Amino acid sequence: MIPYKYIFKKSIAFLVVLYGAITLNFLLPRLLPGNPAEIVYLAIIKEGGGSINPIYVHQLESEYGISNAPMYLQYFQYLNDLLHGNLGVSIAFFPEPVSSILAGALPWTLYLVISSIAISFFIGNRLGRYAGINRNTFKDLFVDLFSMFMASFPAFVLAFIMLDIFSVNSGIFPLGGAYSSNVNIGFNLPFIISAAYYSFLPILTIILTSIGGWVLGMRNNIIPNVNSDFITFSQNLGLRKEQINRIAYRNAILPNLTGFSMSIGLSVSGVIIEESIFSYPGVGLYMITAIGSLDYPLLQGIFLMVIISVLVGNLIVDILYGFFDPRIKQEGE
Amino acid sequence: MNRSLFKNSTVNGISFKFNKIIKPLKILLTNNKAKVGFIILTGMMVFGVLGQFLAPYNPNRYEFVRSMPPSYSHLLGTTVYGQDVFSQLFYGAAPTLLVGFSVGIIGTFISIFVGISAGFASERVNNIVTGIINIFLIIPGVLLIMLFGSYFLGIHQSLGYLPTILILVITGWAFGARTFRSITLSIAKRDFILSSMLIGESRLSIIFRQIIRAIFPVIISNFFFTAMYGTMGLTFVEYLGVGNLLQVNWGTMLYWAINNEAYLTGLWWWILPPSFMISILMFSFILLNFGMDEIGNPSLRRFNSKKNKKGDLNEHTEN
Repeated sequence: MIPYKYIFKKSIAFLVVLYGAITLNFLLPRLLPGNPAEIVYLAIIKEGGGSINPIYVHQLESEYGISNAPMYLQYFQYLNDLLHGNLGVSIAFFPEPVSSILAGALPWTLYLVISSIAISFFIGNRLGRYAGINRNTFKDLFVDLFSMFMASFPAFVLAFIMLDIFSVNSGIFPLGGAYSSNVNIGFNLPFIISAAYYSFLPILTIILTSIGGWVLGMRNNIIPNVNSDFITFSQNLGLRKEQINRIAYRNAILPNLTGFSMSIGLSVSGVIIEESIFSYPGVGLYMITAIGSLDYPLLQGIFLMVIISVLVGNLIVDILYGFFDPRIKQEGE
Repeated sequence: MNRSLFKNSTVNGISFKFNKIIKPLKILLTNNKAKVGFIILTGMMVFGVLGQFLAPYNPNRYEFVRSMPPSYSHLLGTTVYGQDVFSQLFYGAAPTLLVGFSVGIIGTFISIFVGISAGFASERVNNIVTGIINIFLIIPGVLLIMLFGSYFLGIHQSLGYLPTILILVITGWAFGARTFRSITLSIAKRDFILSSMLIGESRLSIIFRQIIRAIFPVIISNFFFTAMYGTMGLTFVEYLGVGNLLQVNWGTMLYWAINNEAYLTGLWWWILPPSFMISILMFSFILLNFGMDEIGNPSLRRFNSKKNKKGDLNEHTEN
């Protein structure tokens, strides 16, 4: 029953893309104009107002993992560091290594991404099904217009409006942070409630901005299905309307599932932006700081970790898809 | 037989070319969604072209009374720097539209090229190109924009319009390529392609004469999607502060408004107009995108429910 061949194929593709992303992460700062190392020196010289001691330069180089060694040696060094979880030292949060910053920030981002994408996918598909089945009616038009309007609103503007209405003016929701300061971090009820309360507004905003695509996609998928022969056949068999709708829905959701794995990358982009607005302590907040202070080690670390998370998410969805789509299931047997 | 038919249709000359422009427009206007989107977009374009002449003040003048609410002399008030919001809105329209359209056109060309060649090539090439498309789909665009932008900031440069367009094309072409690839795959299996191949028509000719014609509505629909991505992307680039913030467009207007906390200090006339304009522009792109989908795929269209209750594929009536 398990489509081994399909899973194997997807895993190989995953490894290839992962290797590509890791190499891209190595190459990007070295190919682009302006050496990050020089930028760091220049910044220090500018602040210090004078020349820089060569000994200090050498110290900096070893501290930030910058070297003048040949490319291939740097590359092996980089891979070796990665394997040991060494992503360099952050410039903006100086003594702290990038890996420990990421360990603190990434769980929050993953929590936001997974919960918002799951809820948005579920509600969006239901709404799309509702619109598709009731098409040509006022309900369809209303749902359509709503999703188009939501999809056309810039995500960060909506975030600011939400923040203004619900946090600044009315104080219903907190202005930032991920949990209240008077709960203990851990698996206990007050902490979970507090985390859910603090994340409500960001998640709601992400859902509102991403739901439109699901609704419209589902609607356009289900309409050809509702019109197709097998539905007429089931009608003739005398199945109830809900049963027929369920059949059409199951068939229509497959393209949206493929879209699901593709949309993880887009959702992560959205979440990064929202986090910086809601001061939510995920990678997005650190990323904005990193850009402002030109913290390349941190930026690269975030880039790498986010890409790895997205790739793993993709792999999981792809493998699940293999179980959902009977065609692939049969192919693998 | 077939060949002579082709020759006849291309010899027609000027009248045929004129028809080529008018006919798609007529088809576009048969669909309600596309019609509304087209009207809004045309309005926006007029706004963009005439904006520079109609704007009452120079958008870069910092000399007015600061943070003034809307009044007769300043229809949308002034910013905290003493700029006229109304003039900025007018001047900002053209660059915003241009970036969106450029990303749409360049991105669509790349995705047509990659998508169709992948769909029409051997299976091995297809697999490799599909892999590449998937990589570009997976990488979050905002991350790449941030990374590139910060490197540019590092060498004391900001992303002008050209690098911005380039980055948005790099991160935005893959969506269309994926669509074109799967559509080309399904069309390439159909009988009329097979018969053209048997007649001896070259692959290039099949691609240009048959496949591109068959998927033309999808191409247009994809153009609007990519243009939407481009416009949205521009606002993201500007919002993140990696673009050239001295340029006047709707993205930079939002950047300055947000960074001066216009939403907290009650300067709604600064933050709402650019948001509103971007939303309306996005809305028109989405309408055109889905309208073109409906034109290409008639089963999605609205039908006259009195004539046809079950909505059969064959008997639908155009609205």
